[in-house]
Amino acid sequence: MKKIKAITGTKWFSSFLWIVLLIIAWEVGAMVVAATKRTPENILPHLYQIIAAAFSGKKVTGDMTAVQAVLSSAGLTLIRALLGFIIGAVIGFLFALLMKMSGMVEKILFPYLMLIQLIPVLGIAPIILAITGDINISRVIIAAILSFYPVAANTLAGFKSVEQEKYDLMFIYAAKRRSLYTKVLIPASLPYLFTGFKIAAPMAVTASILVDTLQGDGGLGCLLSQSLKHAMSIHVFWLIVFFSAFLGIVISKVIGLIEVGIAPWRRRV
Amino acid sequence: MGVEREIEIKTRNMGVTFKDNEDNDVQALTNVNLEIYKGEFIALLGPSGCGKTTLLRCVADLQKPTEGDVHIQGMTPKEVRLQQKFGFVFQQPVLFDWRTVKKNVELPMEIMGYSKGERSDRADEMLEMVGLKDFANHYPKQLSGGMQQRANIARAFGLDPDILLMDEPFSALDEFTKEKLHEDLLRIWRATNKTILFVTHNIQEGVFLSDRICVLSPHPGRLSAIVDVDLDRPRALEVKESAHFNELVAKVRNSFEGGSV
Repeated sequence: MKKIKAITGTKWFSSFLWIVLLIIAWEVGAMVVAATKRTPENILPHLYQIIAAAFSGKKVTGDMTAVQAVLSSAGLTLIRALLGFIIGAVIGFLFALLMKMSGMVEKILFPYLMLIQLIPVLGIAPIILAITGDINISRVIIAAILSFYPVAANTLAGFKSVEQEKYDLMFIYAAKRRSLYTKVLIPASLPYLFTGFKIAAPMAVTASILVDTLQGDGGLGCLLSQSLKHAMSIHVFWLIVFFSAFLGIVISKVIGLIEVGIAPWRRRV
Repeated sequence: MGVEREIEIKTRNMGVTFKDNEDNDVQALTNVNLEIYKGEFIALLGPSGCGKTTLLRCVADLQKPTEGDVHIQGMTPKEVRLQQKFGFVFQQPVLFDWRTVKKNVELPMEIMGYSKGERSDRADEMLEMVGLKDFANHYPKQLSGGMQQRANIARAFGLDPDILLMDEPFSALDEFTKEKLHEDLLRIWRATNKTILFVTHNIQEGVFLSDRICVLSPHPGRLSAIVDVDLDRPRALEVKESAHFNELVAKVRNSFEGGSV
């Protein structure tokens, strides 16, 4: 009895339970859909069909199998998302710094920064495409726009989390402004910065995929719309969905690992 | 003591008035005249709202008096602060989570531009003094409240400041930890000969630690009495059971203006 409790109490067990429940729900759904007999495959195929599609050697586009197509498209998507994420994150951090250094800049900028966040990606993407005239540049710019705000807002919150006593202490030690930033404010903002990264990174990937659907030239989004429009295979579509979800998890784990590397005091003690 | 004593801190008709939310003048402190000698341990004692912390902040240049002035070693608080002659201990430890205990102690020395080796040696010495040598590489979150406050004290002594300002440093600690830290503080003070201004609302604490107690009363905040604590040094905890200790406690209690508080 104790042993059972010890096993059911672990984190792994609850993850395992979730996966099993999801698979059951999925398969029940697939059976119900199949029973309606309305081209059921296009809506919800069985999981084994998707897995079989992943391992079949059948060429789906030109000379690539399903897995090859997904992986090469994902590579393209990731590189663009990463580039946009880095640009957006750097600009976001610098804006936060600027807003912290000057209350006036914060008052002028901050309310309007949120507006950028409120514009739907699909609305802004064609405009940026029209301005730049280049789909690749547009992808990077849109990923950057979406990454920018969470990083800026979280970093600013990090700066503001520093208590008055810490400022007083630095004042008593006659610390220069530079020391205040490098020794207190920036290290204090790091956990917040990483929270911003964790929100921004999956958004950059989403943006990159969405912009792919606008125009060709590779990427997961392209493959996604091809798999829907052309009779490529609904299995490829689901393969992309699962792979994208997997990418999102991997990205947030990688950011978490980088955080622990940079901020060892954040390790559980 | 007894020989020629040098005045370290002097306030003259010092007062602080600020505006409250409804724009009324509130007198936090009025007409404070105080002379503190070099190497003296002074307790600033009073109930909340008596302006004891305001007085400490005025000495530290964290706040400007609106009337009168403060002189420290013949200079303004700002000049003294810029020469980094203050150590300050807050009620909360105010440690930096991302630095190890040792790196926290080194922080003021980094700001002042000590060399790396000098910082390290001095931090080791300070941590040894407060009994945290074995915890040098721990992070603050890994320490108990008492240990965090020790680290805070080590940091304040690290720069070898002339004047140590302490704002109710032990009031958040349990009684056992507090008594241990009292003894340690007195030992360190004797070894380093600093001038200490110690804010507290605890009469026993003030009597046990200090040479003189400045009793402050509220509404408006003012210096209502100065009580000499003529207990022998070094003091052990047993002194708290002596008749004279209790007489002094009673004397301080009776010196609050406006009766009991």
